Amino acid sequence: MTRMINFAKRNFKELIRDPLSLVFEIALPLFLLFLFQQFDIPADNYKLENFTPSIILFGFSFITLFAATLVAKDRTSSFLIRLGASPMKSSDYILGYILSLLPMVLIQNVLFFLVAVIMGLEFSISIILTILVSMVISIFFISLGILIGSLVSEKGTGGLGSIVVQLVCFTSGMYFPKDSIGGVFEIICEILPFEACLNITQGTLHNDFSNLTPADIVVFLIYFIAILLLSIIFFKKRMISDNK
Amino acid sequence: MVAIVTRKLTKKFKDKVAVNEIDLKIKQGELFALLGVNGAGKTTTIKMLSGLILPTSGDIVIDNMNMKKDIFKIKEILNISPQETAIAPNLTVKENLEFMAGVYRIKDKGNKINELIKQFKLDEILTKRAKTLSGGWQRKVSIAISLINDPKILFLDEPTLGLDVIARKELWKIIEGLKGKITIILTTHYMEEAESLSDRIGIMANGNLVDIGTSKELIRKTKTKNFEDAFVSIATRGE
Ligand SMILES: Nc1ncnc2c1ncn2[C@@H]1O[C@H](COP(=O)(O)OP(=O)(O)O)[C@@H](O)[C@H]1O
Ligand SMILES: [Mg+2]
Repeated sequence: MTRMINFAKRNFKELIRDPLSLVFEIALPLFLLFLFQQFDIPADNYKLENFTPSIILFGFSFITLFAATLVAKDRTSSFLIRLGASPMKSSDYILGYILSLLPMVLIQNVLFFLVAVIMGLEFSISIILTILVSMVISIFFISLGILIGSLVSEKGTGGLGSIVVQLVCFTSGMYFPKDSIGGVFEIICEILPFEACLNITQGTLHNDFSNLTPADIVVFLIYFIAILLLSIIFFKKRMISDNK
Repeated sequence: MVAIVTRKLTKKFKDKVAVNEIDLKIKQGELFALLGVNGAGKTTTIKMLSGLILPTSGDIVIDNMNMKKDIFKIKEILNISPQETAIAPNLTVKENLEFMAGVYRIKDKGNKINELIKQFKLDEILTKRAKTLSGGWQRKVSIAISLINDPKILFLDEPTLGLDVIARKELWKIIEGLKGKITIILTTHYMEEAESLSDRIGIMANGNLVDIGTSKELIRKTKTKNFEDAFVSIATRGE
């Protein structure tokens, strides 16, 4: 077994044994998915085929939060000092953190779609494709978490993490379309990557990409690459400076 | 055989000189204590010797390998029990041992883990989550973990800090049991700990390694009656 997988296994155990992480990453999104189907809201956003991808994205924002908390906790405990004296390399840490959250992402996706299908979403191969696409998107949310966890203390991760949750709720278009507000808000939604993420997953699920613009793809790719690189740079930096 | 050599080992944090041109020579199998008050530079020295932080200047040679060139080879043969207890909180004691065995890619890990369980009498806490253990147990586990790769060189940073008398005496016994087989560098600010456990003692003050010797030699040199007086006499020289 490689050092990276060994580290990922440990991280996964730490996460799955934290009841709060399960409540927010799984129970809360499931509850919202169920709740919003109980009212007949006339807006398109709340139709199952639109709202299920939204809930997946909402769940990812908590993946960011708990990844950040795990990294910040590890950083401030002597645990990373012990590992720092071991032959583990930077890539083992970063990939180990990313890998450890992917099973959680898969569990989320499968559960959310399962409940959606039970509530009436039509089962199709598009669901499988959407799960695969959203696993890729989740890497952006995980590296955002690693970046936050490298920058601030464990206390700070709660604050920054909830900003990410809020941004996902308000700027992705999951609850209301951006043109219902318009103006500067609309521009902010376009600059941030969350609407792009949602357009990509919804498009995959509907097998219809008419809502997806080239700008969406560009914005998403820029964020994906930039945040991944920044998370590697800052984690490495903090890993050394914390031990200075 | 010499296990560790340093030449003018120095660490500066901005203007603060935490470790100042230290020359050390530690023999294989020796238990060497770094003794000094808080802030003397013990932890910083240990962090440089274990490859955690880079020196500002100076050289480290461990087991005939230069730290600058062979850091990853050196890391294979050493281990550290950090000043604060370093174990994965939500993992059980057994899982912590297995995890670290994975980090060092131990081949026969089942046997090694069982050996440590016996040696440290960990049976009763094996399935407990690390964060639920008492301070004494956590420290014991932390030291047990640091033996997972059969290190040639072991760093123990303040191993008994914050422990009660009984837990401390128990740890002393364990450390004495390791003596001779492994080269151990232990830091402490408890004089009786340095005196009763170690072969030689290096006294640090303000980043300087002020004097080195056996406790008897240091008492003789300073013409004092006991080791405590000798320590005070030497440590104040460094100021
Ligand atoms: N990361 C750091 N940044 C700035 N100063 C530090 C840092 N780490 C240690 N020091 C300073 O270096 C000195 C030696 O610290 P340390 O090696 O921890 O001492 P000891 O372990 O003997 O108590 C202290 O004055 C401490 O404040
Ligand atoms: Mg210290």
